[in-house]
Amino acid sequence: MVRAPLLLLLPCLAAAAAGAARAAGPEGERLPEILVSRGLLRERRLAVGQVVALSADPRGAGARRFRIAGVYEPTPDPSRFTAKRLEARMHLPDLLALTAEPGEAGAADSVSAINIALQDASDAGAFARELGARAPGISVVRAAAGDDQHFVIIERFHLAISVVTMIGSTAFLLALMVIRADERREVAGLLRLLGLRRRRILLQALLEGLCIAAAGAVFGVLFAAATQGAVNAFFRWRYDTTLVFVRVTPAIAARCIAVALPLGVMAGLLASWTLLRRPVLDLLRR
Amino acid sequence: MSPLHFAGRSLSRQPARALLGVIGVAVVGALLFDMLMLSRGLIVSFRDLLESTGFDVRVTATEALPGMGPAVAEAAATTEELSRLPELAMVVPVRFGAATVAARGGRTHEVAIIGSQTRRRGEWRLLEGADLADGAAGGRPDMVVNRTLAREQGLASGSIVRLASTLPGREFRVSGIVEFPFEATGEWMAGVTLRGFTHAFPTARRDEADLLLVASRPEAGPDAAVVAIRRARPDLHAFSIDEVLERLRHAEFSYFRQVSFVLATIASFFTLLLVTTLLTVSVNQRLGEVAALRALGFSRRRITLDLLAESALLVGGGGIAAVPLGLLLARGLDSILRQMPDLPSRLHFFVLEPRDLALHLAFLVLAALIAAAYPAILAARLPIAATLRRESIS
Amino acid sequence: MSAKAAIVEARGVGKVYPMPAGPVEALRDVSLTVEAGDYVAISGPSGCGKSTLLHLLGCVDTPTAGSLLFEGRPVRAMGEEERSRIRLRRIGFVFQRFYLLPMLTAWENVELVQSEAGMPAAERRARTRELLEYVGLGQRVGHLPSQLSGGEMQRVAIARALANRPGLVLADEPTGELDDETGEQIGDLFDRVNADGTTLVIVTHNLALAARARRRLAMRSGRLAASPAMARP
Repeated sequence: MVRAPLLLLLPCLAAAAAGAARAAGPEGERLPEILVSRGLLRERRLAVGQVVALSADPRGAGARRFRIAGVYEPTPDPSRFTAKRLEARMHLPDLLALTAEPGEAGAADSVSAINIALQDASDAGAFARELGARAPGISVVRAAAGDDQHFVIIERFHLAISVVTMIGSTAFLLALMVIRADERREVAGLLRLLGLRRRRILLQALLEGLCIAAAGAVFGVLFAAATQGAVNAFFRWRYDTTLVFVRVTPAIAARCIAVALPLGVMAGLLASWTLLRRPVLDLLRR
Repeated sequence: MSPLHFAGRSLSRQPARALLGVIGVAVVGALLFDMLMLSRGLIVSFRDLLESTGFDVRVTATEALPGMGPAVAEAAATTEELSRLPELAMVVPVRFGAATVAARGGRTHEVAIIGSQTRRRGEWRLLEGADLADGAAGGRPDMVVNRTLAREQGLASGSIVRLASTLPGREFRVSGIVEFPFEATGEWMAGVTLRGFTHAFPTARRDEADLLLVASRPEAGPDAAVVAIRRARPDLHAFSIDEVLERLRHAEFSYFRQVSFVLATIASFFTLLLVTTLLTVSVNQRLGEVAALRALGFSRRRITLDLLAESALLVGGGGIAAVPLGLLLARGLDSILRQMPDLPSRLHFFVLEPRDLALHLAFLVLAALIAAAYPAILAARLPIAATLRRESIS
Repeated sequence: MSAKAAIVEARGVGKVYPMPAGPVEALRDVSLTVEAGDYVAISGPSGCGKSTLLHLLGCVDTPTAGSLLFEGRPVRAMGEEERSRIRLRRIGFVFQRFYLLPMLTAWENVELVQSEAGMPAAERRARTRELLEYVGLGQRVGHLPSQLSGGEMQRVAIARALANRPGLVLADEPTGELDDETGEQIGDLFDRVNADGTTLVIVTHNLALAARARRRLAMRSGRLAASPAMARP
């Protein structure tokens, strides 16, 4: 079984590169080239142009020399963002030559996976079934559009947290609205005494609630937008990744406002209604 | 009238406000309680899983996680050498591999295969049938399968499993149905002997092990075993469970720790803000009363105690309700997170420890004190005469 | 005639409030002695310093000039804790706006200050019942302030003021929020209280109430106008 994943080379590098010859090859020596990840470059204090020795054996046996041709940024993997991306990329023949067991039949022609891009992606399912039937002994799977499942789960988790926070905030909001309504109790009673109808006073409460809710929602969105940079900066620094953790998009902002506005208005109306249901004189009594 | 009794009567003046305050604290407190559980839940749960295998030290060829890096070469000799160390009770080499079997609809399905010895402790738990035996009756080595594989393929003891990943397909005889501690939900998993592993993966290098499971002698302990292994074989990487968990805590599991910290901070802030606001507004609405009580001889200390008691009732009432609510919420959140692919099905994100209850209680006490601080200062420092005069005019 | 003990002695007392627009002298050079058993009424236009004087006499505030003795002890030298204790045990207050705690019943409002003073439960119960009967509210002990009329609330407030057997009761516009008839009833009650030996100092606009006092003092612009003690007709 060929140990194809490039990540398996990390410990090889760790074992070999640290003590391996780092001198540049002699003039004119053509060494095979590799690319190293930014993390690996920094972690092992490597440099572009440097010659390193790689081995598939943890003890460094069978090491081969390569020249670092460049640095690359690994595609961020949300499901593995906590892991250090200490990776290298090389030409397939070099990898096969490095990892093949001497005398292992077919080792130089053995890979762990073949990626296929179809002319028409909608044929993928049928293609996979047909190929699997025609070539027993191999596993044919459709590549997922990114590792969506992790995203989906994390999104659900965050949504659940948001719902809980909203429920708690709503209780808070209602309490504040009740306080606000109570402070205006006498004013409300006076207006009722003067002949204004409940509906008129509720309309005022609705408009006030709308203004407060709108101002609060917009402030909240602006605050989130202002702090997303700090959150992303922290997590990017912490995990040495280019992933974006928080992004306040127009759609998210619209959703937040769409939830906050009715909540604020309803809370204000509810608090005012419970007050206005009471007899007028009760409102005026101390 | 005691401060608590007085506070209860004060809160009952505005029952809606008080109830909403308690509900708000309960909901946000439940979230906070859950974050306490999440902060160490993965670590605690993973420790349980690791310890359930009966092995307390793991040895790999490099610092990569088992199965992610090169294998330990000369596994048999290495196993023998380490077994002779007095600190070690048992050393078991383990190999990991992935094969495929024919599934319904003409498809193939991946099966994770673990190769181990027949003499073991807890790599898997036998549920039905018999465990692995050496030998291969009829050219078919023994295989134990997990429930998912058995159910999906209709397997039972004596059934034959043919791997589709080799030509010709290699066959195994199911000896029993087991539960693997680290099997993920829906994962097809099987266990074979090391010889069986070679049968399943004929091109794999022989005499290698992805991982050596080590059980230390009780009188020595895992730390002494790790030291002994490192001394005997400095080329290998030995980790105790504590060291594994420490690494996971700082790396793979760190995201949830940080999320729990951030959410706990936000939840705490909300709680403090809510209670402080409620109490401050309450004090502001009864300044005249407070001034009158002071004029009647109520000391600053008494006024402060009354407000502390009000805060304690709000925070305490909500905080106590937060515990059952938090446990319920944790079950829901845990069930969401456990749907992540490739996670051991027995792993939990939210684990209740006595420490969590203690921290929750400590937070409640602190929150009650802090929330009452500002309104208490407001009330205690109230200029009595000026307030009475102002209230009379208004 | 034997010399009565002085409850409060004020000598050249003054009170200045620092204000953003400049200091305001609410009281200047006020000298007054209130003896045990006195019934003093202080009248004057709004803003003349009546309530300020009452607050100083009641140890709610401290003078910025002069000397003020309460039962022989200098008030300016007392800390806030000590003044609180004096207010709780030796002084009773009756406010214009009653300031009954709305969530407590009449009984509980009267009992509250006794409890705070550390009176044993049995003694509290007896005293509370006695006081509420005394003020004519024996049948309304379980009623909340919202269920009482203005006059009844003030009666409860008077009962509360008498709860710890104070040496001095101070009333600030006690009939200010009551109609004339109810005010008369309160006046009658104050007469009884004083006749039973409690020293009273009342600040009031109500001339009829002021007329009931044996000593009537007038204040103007922070000064106390001297006026002879007037015996009640």
